[in-house]
Amino acid sequence: MGSSSLRTLGSAALLRRALPSGEFSGRPGGQFQVDSTAWGILALTACDGSAELLDQSRHLLMREQLLDGRLCVNKTHPASYWPTSLAILAWQDSQSCSEAQQRAIRFLLDTTGFHFPRESDAPSAHDSQLKGWPWVDETHSWVEPTAMSVMALRATGYGRHDRVQEAVHMLLDRQLPHGGWNYGNTLVFGKELHPMPESTGAALAGLAGDVDRKKVARSLDYLQGEVDRLRTPISLGWALLGLAAWRMAPPNAATLVERCLANQKRYGEYETSALCLLVLGALAMEMGGQIPLLTASVYKGLPLALTQ
Amino acid sequence: METQTDSGTNVGLTRRDVLRAAAAGLVIGTGLLVVPKRYFRLPQQAQTFVAKVDHYQFDIAGVLTLGMMELGISRKELQGKRILLKPNLVETASGAPHINTHPLVLRGAIEAFLRLGAATVMVAEGPGHRRDTLAVYEESGLADVLTEDRITFHDLNYITGYELPNAGSQTTMKTLTFPGLFQEVDWIVSMAKLKTHHWTGATLSMKNLFGVMPGLYYGWPKNVLHKVGIQNSILDINATLKPHFAIVDGIIGMEGDGPIMGSPKQVGVLVMGRNLPAVDATCCRIMGIDPYKVSYLERADNWLGPIGERSIEQRGETIASVQTNFELIDTIPAQQGIRLT
Repeated sequence: MGSSSLRTLGSAALLRRALPSGEFSGRPGGQFQVDSTAWGILALTACDGSAELLDQSRHLLMREQLLDGRLCVNKTHPASYWPTSLAILAWQDSQSCSEAQQRAIRFLLDTTGFHFPRESDAPSAHDSQLKGWPWVDETHSWVEPTAMSVMALRATGYGRHDRVQEAVHMLLDRQLPHGGWNYGNTLVFGKELHPMPESTGAALAGLAGDVDRKKVARSLDYLQGEVDRLRTPISLGWALLGLAAWRMAPPNAATLVERCLANQKRYGEYETSALCLLVLGALAMEMGGQIPLLTASVYKGLPLALTQ
Repeated sequence: METQTDSGTNVGLTRRDVLRAAAAGLVIGTGLLVVPKRYFRLPQQAQTFVAKVDHYQFDIAGVLTLGMMELGISRKELQGKRILLKPNLVETASGAPHINTHPLVLRGAIEAFLRLGAATVMVAEGPGHRRDTLAVYEESGLADVLTEDRITFHDLNYITGYELPNAGSQTTMKTLTFPGLFQEVDWIVSMAKLKTHHWTGATLSMKNLFGVMPGLYYGWPKNVLHKVGIQNSILDINATLKPHFAIVDGIIGMEGDGPIMGSPKQVGVLVMGRNLPAVDATCCRIMGIDPYKVSYLERADNWLGPIGERSIEQRGETIASVQTNFELIDTIPAQQGIRLT
């Protein structure tokens, strides 16, 4: 599957989830969801989607922003602010959204979640004081929301900010000794936990450009060893994004993506954010390491090496 | 969704409850403390059914049908009902199928509920560790089974929720957000795995319900629930959701550092019942664990259900005939001092 057909296919699948007013639903025929809309904008941008629709979607996303800058799963659940980083990326390069984007950035920079000093006899091995970002207010920092926030802040020019640098440190601290990441625990009661492809892909994408390859070599090996067996969109999408960020595209990526798309016969139509991740991962492979998640960013057109 | 009633529970008085009531009276007499209302409730009784099932190729549907009938579940009761089975799918690892509820136990339950007149049966889960629910669904082997049986699987992590007031009030959470799908079903069945747990001592049908809380609102892991207290959250979820039935897969359980890193333990049982604390207390006794030493069970006692041996009418096999001590790890605080003596 070439990048042109993938774009066409991705656009068609995504447009079926676009509601008349420009938002995206979680599934075809479903209702508006903030995270689906933000992911939809990112994927449709990468697929060269209609500028008019994208503009409309970005503005609808602005309506969901709370006064302090956050975006939540929905307004009745203000603690679930993890879509904020997605919105920052979705608003990238849109002049009319820049004020909203700045407020979202400020919210992320001012928000830390729950952290505490690690006691010597703590069951968990990681440094619980290092700040990244949580999924939900007043909880601990975990891998994927931290990786997403790092990408969003780096894309908007905050890559050297103390919060981003600490988050990079936090992600490295959560790397499993034998390679890979899971949701964010390393050893508990002395036992090393299992890595997960989606968390590993997200962390690798978040760290690309900020750390030396040697520091993540085991994780790259782990993910390369896993990618052939991945059949589901979140795992495969993040794995391709993570590997692409380190210029390690698997030669059979197109086949893997086609197989994953075909699996919708088995699982039913994919949830929008999962489909978007798959589309973005696939395009990252096609684009020789340029991560579509960031192509609408300040790094557009620049070789990845310049960010390292 | 219908709410669970106290049907299937009877009134009786245990020595423990007499002591509690006496203690409560003493405290009230001194006017020092307010005693929780549950201490004044008459003690509950429940029934559980234990079946010996040596392996997963056994006629599990037949065993579960028999067990449910023994527990008084009739065709009339299930006629036309929409049943949601909630397995324990956490994560997958090579060589560790004992992490998750076995797919063939799900298949057996689906068949049993349909035989007993259910209109539809669906399976739904929202894993706490993995964002990619479909990967766990696939890698656990459940996708093969449900695809073949044409049974729908729902990913609870991404379903828009509805709020209910927290009926347990054990945590600071004012409301709990459940998947909207639950408003479209009649029975929620917790289909847990027989496992030890490094934070709670044991994870059974009550703890399994962590997986119904959507990741959209609670994150991965569902750290909101950890932050307000795992044991308290278990009680709040169960008190608010009021699940209808439990089936625990103890054909091969997990001992030691559960719920993920422990070792497989061949037990050869299925345990079921309408009342989740009673089912979990029976499971604990089978595992050689004192349910009164498992904090959330001790606190659920005679509130969400009975956990005393005399308050649980045991159908099927006796506990003694299947009891086998699960390994407990001395260095894990939640597993210290919980051995049944």
